[in-house]
Amino acid sequence: MWKLQVCGAGRAGDGTNTFAQLLGKILKDMGAWVFIWRDEVYSNIQTRDSAFGMRAADFPIYGPEEGFDILVAFDEGALWDWTREGRIPPIERLRAGGVLIYDSSPRLEYPNTGHEVKEELVASVAEAKGLKVFGAPFGAMAKERFGNYIVRGAIALGVLAHMLRLPVQAFERQFRRLFNEELFRLNMDALLEGVAYARHEGWEVPDLEVRLDSAEADGRQFLMGNEAVALGAIVAGCRFFAGYPITPASEVLEYMAEKLPKVGGVVVQADSEMAAIHHVIGASIGGCRAMTATAGPGFSLMQEAISAAGMTETPIVIVVSQRGGPATGLPTKVGQEDLNETIFGGHGDFARIVLSPTEPEDAFYLMGTAFNLAERYQCPVLVIYDQVFAQSQYTIPPLDPQRFSIDRGKLIGPWGPPWRGDGPFRRYLLTPDGVSPRAVPGTPGITTMYYNSNEHNEDGYITEEIPIREAMVNKRVRQRLAIIRKDSDLPPPRVGGHPEASIGFIAYASLYGPLVEVVGQLTAEGRPAKLMALRTLWPFPSKEVRRFVQSCRRVYVVEYSVGAQLRGLVQMEATGPMPRKLRSILRYDGRPMTPQYILRAMEDG
Amino acid sequence: MAIDTVARPISAADITGPGAWWCNGCGDFGVTAAFKDVLLSVVNELGVPLERVFIVSGIGCSSKEPEMLRVNAYHGQHGRSIPVAMGLALANPSLVVVDFGGDGDTYGIGMEHFVHACIKNVNMTLVVMNNQVYGLTKGQASPTGHLGLKTSSTPYGKTIRPVNPLKLAIAAGAAFVARGVSWRKKELAEIMRMAITTRGFSLIDVFSPCVTYHREPGYRGSGAIVDWYRLNYVVDIKEAWRRMQEQVFSEEERSRLPADYDPTHHEAALMALRLIEEAAKMGREVTGVLLINESAPTMAEALGISADRPPALADIAIESNLAIYREWLAELR
Repeated sequence: MWKLQVCGAGRAGDGTNTFAQLLGKILKDMGAWVFIWRDEVYSNIQTRDSAFGMRAADFPIYGPEEGFDILVAFDEGALWDWTREGRIPPIERLRAGGVLIYDSSPRLEYPNTGHEVKEELVASVAEAKGLKVFGAPFGAMAKERFGNYIVRGAIALGVLAHMLRLPVQAFERQFRRLFNEELFRLNMDALLEGVAYARHEGWEVPDLEVRLDSAEADGRQFLMGNEAVALGAIVAGCRFFAGYPITPASEVLEYMAEKLPKVGGVVVQADSEMAAIHHVIGASIGGCRAMTATAGPGFSLMQEAISAAGMTETPIVIVVSQRGGPATGLPTKVGQEDLNETIFGGHGDFARIVLSPTEPEDAFYLMGTAFNLAERYQCPVLVIYDQVFAQSQYTIPPLDPQRFSIDRGKLIGPWGPPWRGDGPFRRYLLTPDGVSPRAVPGTPGITTMYYNSNEHNEDGYITEEIPIREAMVNKRVRQRLAIIRKDSDLPPPRVGGHPEASIGFIAYASLYGPLVEVVGQLTAEGRPAKLMALRTLWPFPSKEVRRFVQSCRRVYVVEYSVGAQLRGLVQMEATGPMPRKLRSILRYDGRPMTPQYILRAMEDG
Repeated sequence: MAIDTVARPISAADITGPGAWWCNGCGDFGVTAAFKDVLLSVVNELGVPLERVFIVSGIGCSSKEPEMLRVNAYHGQHGRSIPVAMGLALANPSLVVVDFGGDGDTYGIGMEHFVHACIKNVNMTLVVMNNQVYGLTKGQASPTGHLGLKTSSTPYGKTIRPVNPLKLAIAAGAAFVARGVSWRKKELAEIMRMAITTRGFSLIDVFSPCVTYHREPGYRGSGAIVDWYRLNYVVDIKEAWRRMQEQVFSEEERSRLPADYDPTHHEAALMALRLIEEAAKMGREVTGVLLINESAPTMAEALGISADRPPALADIAIESNLAIYREWLAELR
């Protein structure tokens, strides 16, 4: 079992993201499973501390781990809390005996002048942690040789390439993909400068040898959660996307903006989240598979529209990428505080479905399910996840669009048999299964399709009379939820670990990744454990959760919410209070949970 | 793929709904009558299949318009009809999208969407039944309520100045801007017809008096409020233009600008703004067609969407798109 963890740390604008990306892609090309996450990112564009973690292994990994093997520092912020606000700098996450590579030249450019890594600081931490230390004047080299400060990242990569014995050709391939000819040359030269420097200095780290077999890596995808969601939606047939920029959901908008026009679709950057979701309702009525993606405050703005979609029986898909809340909260950091809002938000009673992907491979196919369910049941479908899933980059097996099947439910359009009704088309026709036909506007013969957010009769006209109100509520809520519950397409929980284990974990979204490792580690230590990651959150999988909890002696519900929203759902929908059996493992400081964090929390409580 | 539909002739009975339960004498009846005439001519004369007509409305008395009709429609939530209409117009540009809203609906809670729809120049027609009050919540002052208007929410008279939707729409770049009045059906129908056939965003702000909650001193009893509008509040664009020529314009302007007001004139936007300002000095609101300017691309055109290949009818079959999907998956490696 080979693995390696590297952190690139500096200030926003230093290129730490690009550094981690490139290193990750090269290792991925060499056959590694790579995971890249935002170790320290603030809601800021330039000057605040910025650190990206890169983890590579010769086995699948879906989350971060504690203990960097190598820290590459471009700024003193990597080594100490210069803000004196209780910040925990990346050096604290470098393991004892690890490798520190740092830029030993002064910080040469505004706005961070004076914040270079200082020798005395390096000396003090190196001794305390028994580090192997390598300082090179990346910044000065970049300025002097290339007249370009930003390439010090490429020089640092070169140093690392020599020390880890990574082939230069692998970098060449990635640089070609990333840069134009001019930048390609510049970065290659900078990289080679770094290689030469490290070779000349005789820098070696034999214990960190990269041992990989590239044979199996063919076709593996390397992508962000948000990209998997966006592409999954497109393959599912989404041809209309409206959104408003918000972290950590903007990558969905950006990916859609790039791709949708190429397959006959349209992207609207709306004037607000309210506008965005109403565009989606309009487009869905118009006949498109339509979606929006948002986070915290934007999601709150969408609540009235979700109710409108419920009442008018309009299929829409809403992606909710959670961050630390409430309000603006921690915009760039992880949270799972909006679960209750996805399930209980909006006003009034109506049927809805809430799904959650565990990692990008799951997400890609889950989007197909989301659109099929939305159209089959003519209701809002929410896809909820979190910042770690959204903005981390995962390595996953090859994805296959041919595994999708598209079911548009009772939608009548020019692709199907023509409508042959008697009399006028009735949008809310009472049918045996409670789902009424709807049509693409323009379909010949259909001129009386009336969607109404007021209570309505079968024709869509307003009514407040008792029998029809009761019939419509039953159709829309009771009957609908009953058939949704029976649908075998609802994604079942993802279960893993030792089936007979007495220790159980329940979680959703990105926490699946670290829990796989937790369960593996506990089981290896002779304490068999298992996990259940929920992929359908509403209708709540009560039966599965109850059975799982019953089969354990202790169950930890792991989530990023001080309110323990998921545990609340488990108790309300499946188990009752069970105060001795059910325990919470919570994190609400906006930082990702690692397997080590979860294990420590378990021991503590 | 486009839907091939032939327009079948229709009669008024075909497009008449059960009714909206408006008050006796409500201005909205006049708006409905005018619109039904337009709908008949759009289908029977212009040959647009009724299938392609889609009505959207928000919430309020006027937003019950779909109840008066029997056509494809969406009756949504307060202030949100415009973004729904935009979604429809972009999903399928071959639809004729007409949005009915009220003054509170459009210029209060829905103002954000109104201004953006003008800027983005969505190809749709917005008919606002403007009565200066929130009728359905029993008569509170609306954003268009004039200074001094006494209502249940402004018991000492309105002190916040009103919005002028026409000026806003012109400044925001709407393609068609007009003011109609509910009691002149023929003229209103003509305005609606022009609006629907104009390419781009069309606003028709219609004075459609509330006979129940809009009270003016000295005008008591049902129907009197229409007289108040006629006698005190409006001025026809022809009359306003004539006065401008006589009293406001310089010699140079008189010779340069057309004798009769021309909403398609290249200076129409500026002329319209001056007309509105001058009328306001007399305490009047201009009625008529103020601006027609089809020079800007519609939102669908700007986004590269065509009526021949609308997103709503895109081929989403996996097999048809497999090559490009595979290409995109290869990028994510």
